[in-house]
Amino acid sequence: MNAKVEKRDHTASIPDIAADNRPASRRTTTRVQRARRYALLFVLPAFLFLVLLNAFPLGQVVWDSFHYRNMVNAAQQGWAGLSNFVGVLHSEIIGKTLWNTVLWTVLSVAGEYIAGIVSAMALNQPVRGRAFFRGIIIVPWVVPIVVAGMMWTWMLTPEYGVINIWLVKLGIIDKPYYWLGEMNTALLAITFVNIWRSFPFYTISLLAGLQSVSREVVEAAAIDGAGVMTRFRKIVMPQLKTVSLTLIFMHIIWTAINFDFIWIMTEGGPFHASETLPITIYRYAMKEFDMGAASSLSTLMLGFMIVVFSLFYFSAMKKRQET
Amino acid sequence: MVASRGEKRFWMLLTYAVLILFSVYCLFPFLWMLVTSLKPTEQIRSVNPTFWIDHPTFKHFANVLYHSKFGTYFANSVKVALSTTVIALAVSIFAGYALSRYGQFRGVKSVGAAMLLSQMIPGVLLMIPLYLIMKQLGLINTLGSLIIAYTTFMIPLCTFMMKSFFDSVPMEIEESAEMDGCGKLSTIFRIVLPVSVPSLIATSLFAFVNAWNEFMFGYVFINADDSRTLTPGIMLFKGLYLTDWGSISAASVLSVLPVIIMFAYMQRFLVEGMTAGAVKG
Amino acid sequence: MGGNKKLSLLLAGVLAVSVLAGCGSGGGKAAPNDGGSAGGTQSASQGSGSSQEQVILQYWNADDPSLQESKDAEKLIKEFESSHPNIKIEMQYISYEMLHDKLVTAINAGDAPDVSWGLPEWVGEFAAIDSLLDLTPYFDKWSDKDKIYPNVIDALKVNDKLVGMPNYLGIRALEYHEDMLKKAGISAPPKTWDELIAMGPKIKEAAGVDAFGITGTGVRVPQELIVYLAQNDLEIAEKMDDGKYKNTWNDDPEQLKRAAEVFQFYKDLADKGVIGSKTWGYQELDTNLALGQYAMSVNGAWQEQRAKENPDGMKDVKIAPIPYKLKPATYMEVVPYFIYKQTKHPEEAWEFLSFMMDKPYQDLIHPTNSARNDVVSDSQWGKDFMALSPTGVVFPPISLGGVTQAMIDSLARLYLKKDSPEDVAKWLSGAINDSLKKSGDLSSK
Repeated sequence: MNAKVEKRDHTASIPDIAADNRPASRRTTTRVQRARRYALLFVLPAFLFLVLLNAFPLGQVVWDSFHYRNMVNAAQQGWAGLSNFVGVLHSEIIGKTLWNTVLWTVLSVAGEYIAGIVSAMALNQPVRGRAFFRGIIIVPWVVPIVVAGMMWTWMLTPEYGVINIWLVKLGIIDKPYYWLGEMNTALLAITFVNIWRSFPFYTISLLAGLQSVSREVVEAAAIDGAGVMTRFRKIVMPQLKTVSLTLIFMHIIWTAINFDFIWIMTEGGPFHASETLPITIYRYAMKEFDMGAASSLSTLMLGFMIVVFSLFYFSAMKKRQET
Repeated sequence: MVASRGEKRFWMLLTYAVLILFSVYCLFPFLWMLVTSLKPTEQIRSVNPTFWIDHPTFKHFANVLYHSKFGTYFANSVKVALSTTVIALAVSIFAGYALSRYGQFRGVKSVGAAMLLSQMIPGVLLMIPLYLIMKQLGLINTLGSLIIAYTTFMIPLCTFMMKSFFDSVPMEIEESAEMDGCGKLSTIFRIVLPVSVPSLIATSLFAFVNAWNEFMFGYVFINADDSRTLTPGIMLFKGLYLTDWGSISAASVLSVLPVIIMFAYMQRFLVEGMTAGAVKG
Repeated sequence: MGGNKKLSLLLAGVLAVSVLAGCGSGGGKAAPNDGGSAGGTQSASQGSGSSQEQVILQYWNADDPSLQESKDAEKLIKEFESSHPNIKIEMQYISYEMLHDKLVTAINAGDAPDVSWGLPEWVGEFAAIDSLLDLTPYFDKWSDKDKIYPNVIDALKVNDKLVGMPNYLGIRALEYHEDMLKKAGISAPPKTWDELIAMGPKIKEAAGVDAFGITGTGVRVPQELIVYLAQNDLEIAEKMDDGKYKNTWNDDPEQLKRAAEVFQFYKDLADKGVIGSKTWGYQELDTNLALGQYAMSVNGAWQEQRAKENPDGMKDVKIAPIPYKLKPATYMEVVPYFIYKQTKHPEEAWEFLSFMMDKPYQDLIHPTNSARNDVVSDSQWGKDFMALSPTGVVFPPISLGGVTQAMIDSLARLYLKKDSPEDVAKWLSGAINDSLKKSGDLSSK
């Protein structure tokens, strides 16, 4: 019954509430109704921003993906059906770029999370100079990406890059290696740089989360004989669960659609070895002016992500209901 | 304490080792940038790159400060980043609260889903549509265009961050406040927000830094030098064939330092927000 | 209003005459300025009473604002403004890195600037979006039109319409470290591919560095590849009878053989130890030449600026024609100025553009790389490069985005995928035609 009531109300959602607002004070309302009004009022500003700036582009992407829209080819316009999709899926490199996208996303997010949680735990210890260390950890995150990308590219160059020369001097490698120019290391090298850049945000968020872990509880558990790992698993991790999930979810999306570092450092090369889907999309849109192809690839990506996230969401819901 | 002295010592050493390792990882490129900004031009690109500077010079800094509009870019970035942070935070506090407390309502749920969806559009495909929108609003070439765009980009994550932090604030505190006759707004401002200070800081830092460093829309929306922000301004030193590394580095150092200092100052609050009974460091 | 228009026409006339006079007398720089500013003050004093119609021109400049040449240009533009009180130039510096995407976005939104810098690779695609103003009538009336190298003007024509003016030239040549060649007992730089390949091991042994450098990724790859193709009498896309383009290698076994020879040359460079890295970008190529990390490469006059950063490394660098096979050729980068169709003031925009093409401006801003035949510098970075311009080839005026990517991929196929030169030639021919088809440039012949 409850669900039914909710459903009916939903159809008259946001505009209705705004109009409803004035008489609300006079009318006696139930607790649920009042809560719903607050809820919708609270999300309204965020909703307006999204409608203003994201609804139109999103619609345009989906619309364009079913149309011929090549800016340099005015002769071919109009409804394209699925031919844009067929075109991008028949591209020789699509398999490679798909795999690269998955690899890049998984390795980046995993690396960032591990680096983030280890550094956050270390920074949460009462050690001397931790204010200093906290200041340092944030550095990569505040260096503009374009500058960081160029710096790293320079440092990783074989002939005059400081990293290669140091690695050789330290005897770790025999001779300078072209990290960004070899097919087997290009993507990994950029991933390494991407982790460098993104993990500090994990650190800060997780550190903020760790503040809510009561030290008394941890110490009490220690007195009860729980080891370090047990304390971490049983007491600390549950507190970080929502923050962690948010971080990981958002970063999976962002990393998958991110393109700055890759474009700046290798432009997807050599021979597409570091090309991910957003690079392909960028190339279609800005180099070949084929908005149809760019949009259809984006639509595919969008669809894929929606499916993955809904699957995850529903399985999580199911789990929650079972417990 | 239960841990033996030796065990404690081990963990302490491990902590230091981890922190030093991370510091090297984090600082290395920044130090390289700093060193480059102080090197004379003929030492910058060499076959034998070192951190040692034979004759340090401030001429790249002078070039940036006196021969480019760095001051203007800097002021613009401050305005944009601060406005974005304030607006995004104000919007996300409420949206995050709604998502945390009223997640059962469909309207709220669908806004949450829309936020997630909005993050999945590649930036390249936003360029032309957003330019058109901004042109329609008459905002091209103004800081307003950047503030609106960045705010929209930041709202989803800020909201989710706030939600996840509000989730860890127990309902009971609020309920007792409401019993005492507090309205919803005053409950949020007087009860919920004060216990969420660390997360507010983490979230606002996120919004600030991203707005500070954004590049693509900064250069697409702004043609006029007087409204240009820092990152596109720094990239002006990159020529077609030759990159003025000294000036790029100097400009980057100048743009990064204030944020680091600000963070060093802010983290006091990050620590202050710790729950009762914690050992203050 | 009508009076004002007449006034500005008169003003333009005065300026044109004075420019002509300046060139004729050889008095050069001072003459047009004197004439111009005199006319300017006059008209300003006349115009101050009535409401003078002020034209604002948006001008996007891709130069580095901290360079001396930018400061000189700013000064000259100020002078232009004072001699043309009805025109105000709003100049924005936007580096090449950002300029392309910004122009595409602005053009799409109907918000293009009046005048901007561009790159030769954009000529075909910007013309295909129908965004460039046809400059032919303006150019035909221009008094200095025979001062521009004719093949440079041809490079900026799409379907017989002139869509840009040459900002400056980036002609390519062989740049070599003379000392390294001497060390290996070589007195003259290589003239042919075979000579170059034969020198590889000698230089490596004697000087301890690789003999040659190429780019394997990025924008410079197509610019190098097009040279070697032209040297073997090949075009990446030929203009057919219907005015459209096609790559004809796969239709003609002779051409395909020659294309395969080009890739065989690339393969030999690697296999016979003439080059070190196969995947450098242009930054690595240019920096390593300046650092003396290898002996020779195909490069441009901008390397002169490297001398400031690496005076020691650059001091023995000399210029020679690029080694060839069938006939000498080089890439002539014609860097264009564009005027956009969306401009509301085409007359004034042309006025401004022709001012930047005038001898005084070119003398000061582009002394070594001007497209004017009466601006030639005596330095090796000037005249040695200009001497090669008759052999210069350019990209055909088609949408190049997909074509240049295919050219980059072709080298990767050869070097990284280890395809045979014949297969690579075949593949590239097909890939170019696929791209032409997509952009609507493909001939049906």
